[in-house]
Amino acid sequence: MSAARNNDAMIGKSSPWATWLVGAVAFLWIIPIVGIIVTSIRPLNEISLGWWNVEQFTLTLDAWRTVWDKYPLAYAFWVSVKISVISTLIPMIFAPMAAYAFHFLQFRFRRVMLIIVINAFVLPSQVVVIPLFVLWRKLGLIDNIWAVIIPFAGMSFAWAVYLVKSYLDDFPRELIEAAQVDGCGPIARFFYIVLPNSLTPIAAVGILQFLWTWNGLLLPVVYLREELPLTALLARIQGVYDRNWDQVAVAAIVTTVVPLIIFIVFQRYFTAGASTRSGSKE
Amino acid sequence: MAQMQLNNACKDYGSLRVIDKLNLKVEDGSFTVFVGPSGCGKSTLLRMIAGLEHISDGELLIDGERKNEATPVGRGVAMVFQNYALYPHMSVERNIGFGLKMAKLEKKDIQDRVQKAAEILKIEPLLKRKPAALSGGQRQRVAIGRAIVREPGLFLFDEPLSNLDAELRVAMRVEIAKLHRTLGSTMIYVTHDQTEAMTLADTIVVLHDGTIEQVGSPVELYNDPDNMFVAGFIGSPRMNFLQGTVTLEGNGANVQLLSGARIPVTPEQTEQWTAGMRVHVGMRPEHLRVCEKADPSSISVNVDVMENLGGTRYIYGQTGDGENITVEYREEHLLRSGDTVSVRMDTDKLRLFAESGARLRLATV
Ligand SMILES: Nc1ncnc2c1ncn2[C@@H]1O[C@H](COP(=O)(O)OP(=O)(O)O)[C@@H](O)[C@H]1O
Ligand SMILES: [Mg+2]
Repeated sequence: MSAARNNDAMIGKSSPWATWLVGAVAFLWIIPIVGIIVTSIRPLNEISLGWWNVEQFTLTLDAWRTVWDKYPLAYAFWVSVKISVISTLIPMIFAPMAAYAFHFLQFRFRRVMLIIVINAFVLPSQVVVIPLFVLWRKLGLIDNIWAVIIPFAGMSFAWAVYLVKSYLDDFPRELIEAAQVDGCGPIARFFYIVLPNSLTPIAAVGILQFLWTWNGLLLPVVYLREELPLTALLARIQGVYDRNWDQVAVAAIVTTVVPLIIFIVFQRYFTAGASTRSGSKE
Repeated sequence: MAQMQLNNACKDYGSLRVIDKLNLKVEDGSFTVFVGPSGCGKSTLLRMIAGLEHISDGELLIDGERKNEATPVGRGVAMVFQNYALYPHMSVERNIGFGLKMAKLEKKDIQDRVQKAAEILKIEPLLKRKPAALSGGQRQRVAIGRAIVREPGLFLFDEPLSNLDAELRVAMRVEIAKLHRTLGSTMIYVTHDQTEAMTLADTIVVLHDGTIEQVGSPVELYNDPDNMFVAGFIGSPRMNFLQGTVTLEGNGANVQLLSGARIPVTPEQTEQWTAGMRVHVGMRPEHLRVCEKADPSSISVNVDVMENLGGTRYIYGQTGDGENITVEYREEHLLRSGDTVSVRMDTDKLRLFAESGARLRLATV
């Protein structure tokens, strides 16, 4: 009997304690979200004592209407989409190419170039804000979304190349050699063999970069005036009056909902791991 | 069909020389096996021929033309890898047809040729599957299919059977031999398993530390090894080597074993021989016989283990002087550990080697 129980534990049947613990943590996590939603649909005077206060309970969409009328929410959403999608696609396309070249091809200054690219890792984005601002002003790029997209995409290469390259460390070299024997040149090897088998790290790059650029605040606030993405608009709404929690909650929900959906839809890519790996191993 | 030749081929990894000034000619239509212990450079050599590894120095000729700089396709080679190296995201059909697609063949043409290869290898029912849904043996067939579909002049195999279980290995070995007969192409096959080499090859190339020890047919290597390394590597169980000392007697000589047994021999070239020189006396287990009575030329052996392989039995034991010896046993009654037997051998079957390992040939009568 006890042997059987041990077996259960070994094949990963969780104890009830774990379930309770995870449940409690999950509950703690979800409270703020519930709070924000409740805040956005109750009148301001009711929630000034806390959103959980239920002496009086009215539901209203006033805050939603006000925000919609007063601020260019839809436009900001569109700007956010443009900035995030473009700054995400660029590393999704080019980081795997760079990682492939660094990992599998031989060329001059390969190591030096790799070190330079990866070293951008240690560069905090705050450091480049001012010099770039000066540059964008000279080029007339202030209030142009490319002023944000270029550094977003550029700075992502350090970790994106590194992430894909470390995945390629385990990539079976024989597959590439087999393709070579089958008549693929270096570029065909990338597109026919490496790319289709590297969807996991590419998806990871895409998800992380999308979340970061969507939530990015510093660069948009500094470089943009009217072409504001959601995060910058949220900051602005927060800055107008000191007692507009309901409106801030609305903007926060609009801003958060996209990353949340992205995460829920694509979360399996975080755990998919090596399931695409080669049929070469038993 | 292709003929392949290496002239002074070298491979260096930094300052490490892995293949050293290697000269070899592989005849058109032959089945040549590179055999040697792990790490001796077999794969490196094969990959140099395939075009996967740069040739540091020397020349590779295929059908008389220098191909050092050519791509694998330009060399007309196909290769089967040890881990199969099937493309995991493609069906079997697309795996096999991939090389043809890269060669820009018509779709219809590709389909016909894939179909034909699948028929030869009996994998037609698997064509739509992904490699992950195949067994080891099936994967190996697909890998071979991918090679034959391109109809290359030269096939390269790098230990293609070493990931299969013993039974399947034997079956696939037979099939590869058949395939060679059907296609008639030149095949170069790498293995560390001398049994595979003996059964498949028409020519065996024995490699050791990046150089060739000997090239020859299986029978030649078995009967007439050039040196102790080849003698020890070819044949299973391994050849026994006992220590001996030479005493000269006119045109003849005697080799005295540690046990005191004296074996009269006639050297082919007497100038290689000096009195008192130490030699290794090589005798294959299958050339030793257990005899009834001890005599001056017999060796007494203490039995450690008797191994019964069904048809054949081997005695693993030690001579009186503690040298290990293996003897094929053909008698009826069983021996036990600790028994002592007398063993004799046919003098024309023994092979002598100098201290350096070089063969000391005997005159054939
Ligand atoms: N890329 C490499 N860099 C350095 N040494 C290598 C490399 N590839 C192989 N070697 C060395 O070359 C020798 C021969 O290797 P290999 O051809 O794989 O041997 P085999 O196939 O006979 O077992 C080994 O000693 C190995 O360590
Ligand atoms: Mg090898």
